Amino acid sequence: MAFREKIAWLTLATMLIAYGAYFAVIGPAADFGQGRMVDIIWSFGLVAAAQAVAMIVGAVVLAVLARREAQAPADERDRSIARRGASIGYYVLICGMILVGVVMPFSSPPWKIVNAALAVIVVAEAVHQATILLSYRRGWHG
Amino acid sequence: MADRRLSNTVRTLRFHSGEMTQAELGERIGVTRQTVAAIEQGKYSPTLETAFRIADVFGVALEEVFQWQSSGAS
Repeated sequence: MAFREKIAWLTLATMLIAYGAYFAVIGPAADFGQGRMVDIIWSFGLVAAAQAVAMIVGAVVLAVLARREAQAPADERDRSIARRGASIGYYVLICGMILVGVVMPFSSPPWKIVNAALAVIVVAEAVHQATILLSYRRGWHG
Repeated sequence: MADRRLSNTVRTLRFHSGEMTQAELGERIGVTRQTVAAIEQGKYSPTLETAFRIADVFGVALEEVFQWQSSGAS
């Protein structure tokens, strides 16, 4: 498995665990900041920080285990797959942000809009990483 | 448009070049071992530049490395 594919697995796994915990457990427990908007910063911020720490630790472990591959620059296939992932993730982000920024302000309270925006960012990044994984697994003829 | 796909003989050419490893070929053409494996398995179509580099490593013409075939052809 390519080093960058391992990184994509790590990113997707840590994201699903961390943000799954926020949207399924921590967010509902704190009413998603319904009472106090600052609760969103504390709950989502801590989850995002925990995910970042897990990513850094995981990436360091992977780099130590495959030192030579980790030091090698991305080749044409890596770059092509990364472009594809970013492109598809971008469309998800744009569609989600249109919904959150243009439609929701007419019908939803601020705390819902903020959480929906965070969810859109998480989903777009998950689609980005999933596209990268699929491209490595199933092939890419870009 | 006819259903066609790119096939290649990279694996055979490696075998006939003193069983050159995928890593060795990758190093010579500037890609990773995994990318060479993906090319051999038909999971990745390399850029024209890399295709020429592969042909150059084996000292053969490009069409001896890559063929544009009907999907039913072997």
